[in-house]
Amino acid sequence: MTVAIAVEKAGLETSVQDFPGRYGFWEQGFPPSGPFDMWSFRLANILVGNEPAAAGLECQFMGPTLVFSDDCVIALCGAAMNATLDGAAIPMWESLTVTAGQKLACGFATKGARAYLAISGGIDVPPVLGARATFHMAGVGGADGHALKDGQTLHAIGGEGVPGRRVKEACRPTIANGKEWQIEVVQGPNDDWISAEGIERFLASEWKLQARSNRTGYRLEGPDWLFAEKASTKGPEHGEHPSNILDHGYPVGSINLCGQTPIILVNDAPSAGGFINPFTVPSAAFWKLAQSKPNDIYRFHRISVEEAQEMRRAIDKLCSEKSIA
Amino acid sequence: MRFDEAKFLPGGDQFILVQFGDDGSIDLNFLALGLTAALKHDQTRGVIDTNPSYNSLVVEYESDDISYADLQVELERLIGGLGSVEELELESRLAYLPVMYLDLWTRDCVADYSEKISPREYDPDFVARVNGLEDAKQLVRVHSGTEHWVVAVCSTPGLPLLRALDPRCAITSPKYNPPRTWTTLGAIGVGGLSTSIYTTPGPGGYNLIGRTPVPLWDPRQCHPIFKDRVVLLDAADRVKFVPIDAEEFEYIEARVADGSYEFNITAYQRFSVGAYKKWVASLNADGKF
Repeated sequence: MTVAIAVEKAGLETSVQDFPGRYGFWEQGFPPSGPFDMWSFRLANILVGNEPAAAGLECQFMGPTLVFSDDCVIALCGAAMNATLDGAAIPMWESLTVTAGQKLACGFATKGARAYLAISGGIDVPPVLGARATFHMAGVGGADGHALKDGQTLHAIGGEGVPGRRVKEACRPTIANGKEWQIEVVQGPNDDWISAEGIERFLASEWKLQARSNRTGYRLEGPDWLFAEKASTKGPEHGEHPSNILDHGYPVGSINLCGQTPIILVNDAPSAGGFINPFTVPSAAFWKLAQSKPNDIYRFHRISVEEAQEMRRAIDKLCSEKSIA
Repeated sequence: MRFDEAKFLPGGDQFILVQFGDDGSIDLNFLALGLTAALKHDQTRGVIDTNPSYNSLVVEYESDDISYADLQVELERLIGGLGSVEELELESRLAYLPVMYLDLWTRDCVADYSEKISPREYDPDFVARVNGLEDAKQLVRVHSGTEHWVVAVCSTPGLPLLRALDPRCAITSPKYNPPRTWTTLGAIGVGGLSTSIYTTPGPGGYNLIGRTPVPLWDPRQCHPIFKDRVVLLDAADRVKFVPIDAEEFEYIEARVADGSYEFNITAYQRFSVGAYKKWVASLNADGKF
């Protein structure tokens, strides 16, 4: 049975996302979108008995207040947002029954930054270009192409959810309030534009996450970059600044050097442009980006392509029934 | 220059960047688009998305299905199968796009920048001057005198990177620094080697020379042409800009708004790189438009 969800308060750019997001349209300029922390997102779906791909809500920093028209099963995973159901605190990482008319209220994120709400059956919005994920900068997907708005009504497909299930502690991402994160990086594709000393400086330095960061890009503050000779002897078509290169495609996760400002390109990033990408954050480290807050400190740890792929496999394995108690 | 052998560079756990060369030679883009088409035709195991550009292609892959090393072998096999650049034939449509050159809207954009950010010459005069053309009127003749090749559709949905196929009409110009904070929707800009069309009214760095009333994408998929696709152009398509005046601009704009505008775009044709290069070699490069 369809469940109507009245959006009393939308929260801060709460959006409908699905896993893994929008694929097959990258060469027309569409980024993948999808949940930033795909680990927490998938676990929330699995808890309520959905397919991991079902559409749910990504809540950022300040969650929404929602009223449900009918009984359904929900689960919240990811950042702690002091969520209450009709005023009573509810647990994270657990599926629970909501009865008709109950109000779910989320507050500010106290631990982590992004929480994921799964609802039995998944959010019912029409897929656009094969995905329900919202790319709100372009007005595509999700609820009318945009973040949720106060007063809007969403619908969930409903159906048989399973309450009373919880994710085993060891199978969850460790979301703490530590200000320091170790973020894995794979060197490349444009590491040859940075001098050997510049590469070592990047890896040895602390990088502070700037407030002007969102699902498009994460801006970092740190020491100056040192360029290889190539960056200043290149042809004129590559542009004037050492960080400029003739337009090329940007891997999702690449650390895009815009002048002296590195920007980690994330789920809603531009697909291409004219700056170099000396390093790339692999998909298995995205949940850490998603759960960090402005002014948090990143230290980058270099790993190989194969190690990055192994890390992702390990997370994929945890996004399964085996993680549920 | 084309590298003797394509370079393969990793992007995290899911991407591989294939570089065919390190400059803006159009041959390198033909190769990138040839490989993109070959990957689709081959349905190479593990490949889930592609993102071609000037001289390179980013391939996204599923590492559960194929390793980085095996993907590189597959890509080398497909690149070998492309043969020489002259042998390439690419599926291409030709789109006629009406443009009001030297229009008032982009003139306002430039004037606003001059007033609020940094004084600058009227963009069409500037572009004409740095390209050794007589004036803005000649710039219009040159810019509308060629088919433009869609190098890539990238950055934001539907935004084409174009370059003149006729070398007599090639225009290069430095981009704005600092960039504009806003640009009229549909503005035609030139910067670096490219022409582009602003598909969203946002910031930008290209020199503005005109404006089109025709939408290049429609996320609501209202007009029939957008029924099966959200963006108008793909890489390897061609664009011919058709100069129009203010009256025609208003007429087309109204027909776009009421859904009766008839897009002018051909069916797929085979674009032969060999035939194209033969034609380019036959041209008098000093010819004036």
